[in-house]
Amino acid sequence: MTAIGTRLRAIPSWQITLGVALLALGFLIAAQLSTERPRIRYTTQERPPLVETVLELQRQQEGLKERILALREEIQQTSQASRGSAALVRQLNDDLAEARLAAGLVALVGPGLVLQLEDSSATPPPDGIEADLRVTARDIRTLVEELWLAGAEAIAVNGERLTATSAIVDIGGSVLVNQAYLAPPYQLLAIGPADLYERLSASQGYTDWIVARVQLAGIGAAFGEFEQVEMPAFAGTLGLDYARVEPSAGTP
Amino acid sequence: MHALRSQIALTVVAFVLGLLVVAQLQSQQTAPALAGVSSQDLTILVANLNTRNDQLRTEIATLDRELGDLRADRSRGETSLDQLRDDLLDVRAFAGQEPVAGPGVSVTVAGPIGAPAVAELINELRNAGAEAMAIEGVRIVPGSVVAGAPGGLSLESTPLSDPFEIRAIGSPEALTGSLTRIGGIVAQLGAAEELATVTVTPVERMVVPASERNLLPRYGKPSL
Repeated sequence: MTAIGTRLRAIPSWQITLGVALLALGFLIAAQLSTERPRIRYTTQERPPLVETVLELQRQQEGLKERILALREEIQQTSQASRGSAALVRQLNDDLAEARLAAGLVALVGPGLVLQLEDSSATPPPDGIEADLRVTARDIRTLVEELWLAGAEAIAVNGERLTATSAIVDIGGSVLVNQAYLAPPYQLLAIGPADLYERLSASQGYTDWIVARVQLAGIGAAFGEFEQVEMPAFAGTLGLDYARVEPSAGTP
Repeated sequence: MHALRSQIALTVVAFVLGLLVVAQLQSQQTAPALAGVSSQDLTILVANLNTRNDQLRTEIATLDRELGDLRADRSRGETSLDQLRDDLLDVRAFAGQEPVAGPGVSVTVAGPIGAPAVAELINELRNAGAEAMAIEGVRIVPGSVVAGAPGGLSLESTPLSDPFEIRAIGSPEALTGSLTRIGGIVAQLGAAEELATVTVTPVERMVVPASERNLLPRYGKPSL
């Protein structure tokens, strides 16, 4: 008995400490391996090629958009350079420039507002939905509508100018605008009257959104008012494959 | 001796432990922007990007041709009035300044419905490729927002009657399919807006009027 007692007491405390540390080490190694294994399988099979494809297609899209803007600019300059001749040509060119302005095909500068939205950093409650903590297409649509109602005359989301045909939809945890993939943070840029923000913040819809999404869900929202913002031009297609101008309905 | 050995052992263990904790934390972080997107969504994203890039390429080809024609005209010392007129009409049609006609869908909404639900419908039609839209004869342009309480909705100070009609020009099949698919917007509204009925009818030809609004910017100026 005494021998065993002595033996027990003889186990030095550093061995116990080391034992506990090794146990923790083993646990961590196991945790590490188990988090890596499915990830590696997932990754090697399908994700990186897809992610790579997405990134490559986005790069291509940027290039294509720049090319469209450059071509439009060149066309406008070329047709204006030949304007000198007839009064009719001059008139048509002026009308075209005005129509392009109305269509959102021209970049603008003017007084404006930037709203920046970021996903919530809060941890979802056990019974909550994680997606509620992300900025969704619906959040962006709600704010875009509130901005229009407050008097905005041009809006862009992360560089995508909104036109009559711009859809804002969810894709995974991110948002597509004009079929372009946007990643958070989202910047809503609006040109409008000097009191645009005052009007916006006075609206019930905006206040309701702030309470539900910023105060309750923890979505990050920041705003800035600027004397001059640069509103990008729409760089997509006019895409009129089915619609034809209806002359009988009174074309000016 | 023991004390020294234990210190060395503990140091080594603590070091390895530290490395592992950091590795573990890093592997759990979602770093790049696409990390949270599932493979299924990535596939949809690729399809979307491909479609859009093809559209952009078609647009570039059209613009290239137009520029070539313009230059050819110019070198001959003439200006193609037809080309200018066509351009003007296209841009005005896109902007909502010209009435347009074509195939599409007529969406009839009966019963009280919330303004956000109508916005969802419009957004879904846009997403499905609608080229021009009007609600009760009011053309949808940038800035058009349906507002008000259910039963008292209005669009640009035009009150919406019950039932009211949304017209969208585009591929009737694509527009109908997108709205009425299982789990689509019409099904969702059926569950969320029990009192309202949404009916989608493909139409061979219809007219969408021009906007009556002045669409020129008042506060912004063209950037040079």
